[in-house]
Amino acid sequence: MNPLLELKNLGVSYRTGGGEVTAVRGVDLRLDPGGTLGVAGESGSGKSTMAMSVLRLLPRSARVTGEILLDGEDVTTMRWGRLRAVRWAEASVVFQGAMHALNPVRRVGEQIAEPLRLHPPEKGKAPTDAEVDAKVAELLAQVDLPPSRAGAYPHELSGGQKQRVMIAMALACSPRLIIADEPTTALDVIVQAQVLALLSRLVAEQDIGLIMISHDLSVLAATCERIAVMYDGEIVEERPGAELMSAPRHEHSRALAAAFPTVGDPASRFAPATSTPLPPEPENRETPGGTPLLAAKDLRVSFRDRTGKRIHAVAGVDLAVHRDEIVALVGQSGSGKTTLARTLLGLQRPDSGQVSYDGDPVPSGGQGLRAYRRQVQLVLQDPASALNPAHTVYEAVAEGPRIHGLADERATVLKALEAAELRPPEKFLGRLPHELSGGQRQRVVIAGALALAPSVLVADEPVASLDASVRGEVLALLLRLRRRLGLAALVITHDLGLAWNIADRVAVMYRGELVETGTVEQVLLDPHHDYTKSLLAALPGGTAPRTAAGK
Amino acid sequence: MTTTENAAESPRAIAWRRRRASIAKTWHEFASQKPGLIGLICLGVTVLAALLMPVLSDESGLDVTKATGGPLNPPSAQYWLGTDIDGRSVLLMTLWGTRVSLLVGFSATLLSVLIGTLIGITAAHFGGWVSAILLRFTDFFLVLPSLVLAIALSAVMRQGIGTIIVAIGVTAWPSTARLVRAQTLTIESRPYIERAKALGGGHLHIVGKHVLPGVMPLVLANTTLVVGNSIIADATLSFLGVGDPNAVSWGAMLETALNNGAVSKGAWWNLLPPGIAIVLVVLFFTLVGRGLETVLNPRLKGQRS
Repeated sequence: MNPLLELKNLGVSYRTGGGEVTAVRGVDLRLDPGGTLGVAGESGSGKSTMAMSVLRLLPRSARVTGEILLDGEDVTTMRWGRLRAVRWAEASVVFQGAMHALNPVRRVGEQIAEPLRLHPPEKGKAPTDAEVDAKVAELLAQVDLPPSRAGAYPHELSGGQKQRVMIAMALACSPRLIIADEPTTALDVIVQAQVLALLSRLVAEQDIGLIMISHDLSVLAATCERIAVMYDGEIVEERPGAELMSAPRHEHSRALAAAFPTVGDPASRFAPATSTPLPPEPENRETPGGTPLLAAKDLRVSFRDRTGKRIHAVAGVDLAVHRDEIVALVGQSGSGKTTLARTLLGLQRPDSGQVSYDGDPVPSGGQGLRAYRRQVQLVLQDPASALNPAHTVYEAVAEGPRIHGLADERATVLKALEAAELRPPEKFLGRLPHELSGGQRQRVVIAGALALAPSVLVADEPVASLDASVRGEVLALLLRLRRRLGLAALVITHDLGLAWNIADRVAVMYRGELVETGTVEQVLLDPHHDYTKSLLAALPGGTAPRTAAGK
Repeated sequence: MTTTENAAESPRAIAWRRRRASIAKTWHEFASQKPGLIGLICLGVTVLAALLMPVLSDESGLDVTKATGGPLNPPSAQYWLGTDIDGRSVLLMTLWGTRVSLLVGFSATLLSVLIGTLIGITAAHFGGWVSAILLRFTDFFLVLPSLVLAIALSAVMRQGIGTIIVAIGVTAWPSTARLVRAQTLTIESRPYIERAKALGGGHLHIVGKHVLPGVMPLVLANTTLVVGNSIIADATLSFLGVGDPNAVSWGAMLETALNNGAVSKGAWWNLLPPGIAIVLVVLFFTLVGRGLETVLNPRLKGQRS
């Protein structure tokens, strides 16, 4: 069988101000018609560059060497007109951020119709409006959206619906190859599972070749027959998906696989992927009980939306975090978990209910609130924006001690950086955030919180924007802080694997309410509430990989 | 990065080195733009000349009673730009006029930028009804014909340079306030403000440590542009006769020329020099202001590292 796509010794380099930067080097890949291939790798590994080179969608500064054979025809030497015909009609792309890849001021129906009008099915004859409308309705039906949604604007659709529209667009001209660049990254677990299932079903039904790019191996394993792992522009391992997942050979594939633990696997319980060993559990660890350190009682927060309707973001939550324990608050986006965290920190006023610290209610302002803020600290999701770009690491970490007028600022800062495992701390003092890697930035944010010697950390998606290999290290840091210093933490996440990795207890939040609370083992291995069950069922690692079709 | 070898430095020293480096970088970017650099050099020469005027020339030449030339003499070897109706040298008067124009321009700008920054940051930072009141107040000043307000202010206050400065200062701030408010809102939406709040920082901390340093570059660029406007406003007010009658300024020179029939007598040398001087000084400020804005305004800058 002739391959649908063949990359021969592909190399891509970018001309930048500082010379040539090689993004992809010596990549050989082969995809048969109707085959599915997953490409995994961290940000900067060259996976997106490689995929975009197939349709020559790279910026002008890119230089491509080697051969890209699409159906036996070399894309790199194609003339402009031929390339235009190939784009979308033979191979199409599902772009990464569905919210940015759609034009916000045009109806989605028109956007799906755009490739149909550019690539008329019958050569040289523009399709009539009725034909286009019929085709758009058919495409929407294929992605399980009602045809009436064609009249909607992108902002009226949810993230999952937008991604479905993107898939419909990609299918419009019946291409033979679809390249999906992180199609589910910004989506919730449940929606992610739906989109993945849809994509798998469509490519199987229509015998389309699929190249899927992701940083999450379990997502790829759920949809692709073969997985290639990229590292530093090279393919370090390429094997059938299940095989690679269960027994990764290359060191880097192992890191990727370990970063997304399988819930229920005892080997990854209290063992996030880290290169430095964890300290053992302190022997005299008290069983949680007594007065909780941080507690919410019947907490309610509501907002008014644009139409003036009340939206109950937090609808009566009782939650407790005890000394020396990590509690994971799990839920979909929009479930109110961030609002709950902000209310616990006193950044948002509750409508009713009470937050108490060590048994005493938290004051809503003045000196009392300031004193409370020394005890409970926040770690934000995106470390890149959580640090003032103009402040050095020293200034960022010293901000808290300065506000509270702590003595011996320099020693406090050094100690906090050391505790956040930025070693040696002196080396980092003068750095600016943009000179640090994502993981280092998050450590600086954690150090800034530790500088106040708090007793509780509230971490809002602390690893969601970090790479797989860094993820494990940051989680290990939180676990180490608990074991060494007895630091309690409330970790907010949409990732059940994270909870399995480090948490003692899990609270599942759904539509502003906690539907299930208990120890990690109780909740994740023996869920009672339907929502928890559906969350667990949606985990890509939990679903069986697609059986090889058409081979 | 060279930070490793400087590890022993005190953090304050590191911060200062950072600041010096960033100022040097800004200067480098500014200096790479020809128009801005030319404007800055010309402006420097003008300011220097204005400051050195008492040393370079004799102030008594401005006194009507000590005037040596005849009325409205055309340019000659003795009076390069001719004389005015009182027989004073137009060249000397134009040069001395720089002092008043620059003084009024800088002081009025300082006043208006101070008011504008204060109101802009307060409105954006506190939001709610504080913002609503301040914004309506700003809108009120924005739609008020500023020239009329300035004339009214000059009329009720004592005539003099101080009055002109106040009149321009209190009418020119609304645009600065709007600009600063917009920039403050952008900065306040960043997560690091949330982090500062969670660390326990109060209003003063957030505004002083995060917002003010963030809006300063924009304010600075805006300031140089406001100076040009203030100089024009000063000339306008003096021309309309509400300025200090005793001070020699470009506006006052034009007014004298108009009132004493220099125009009807075809004495162009009484009109062109102050007019051209105004155009040139405003042009220099605009060149510098645009140059600074290109370097400092993140929206005009191509990409930031």
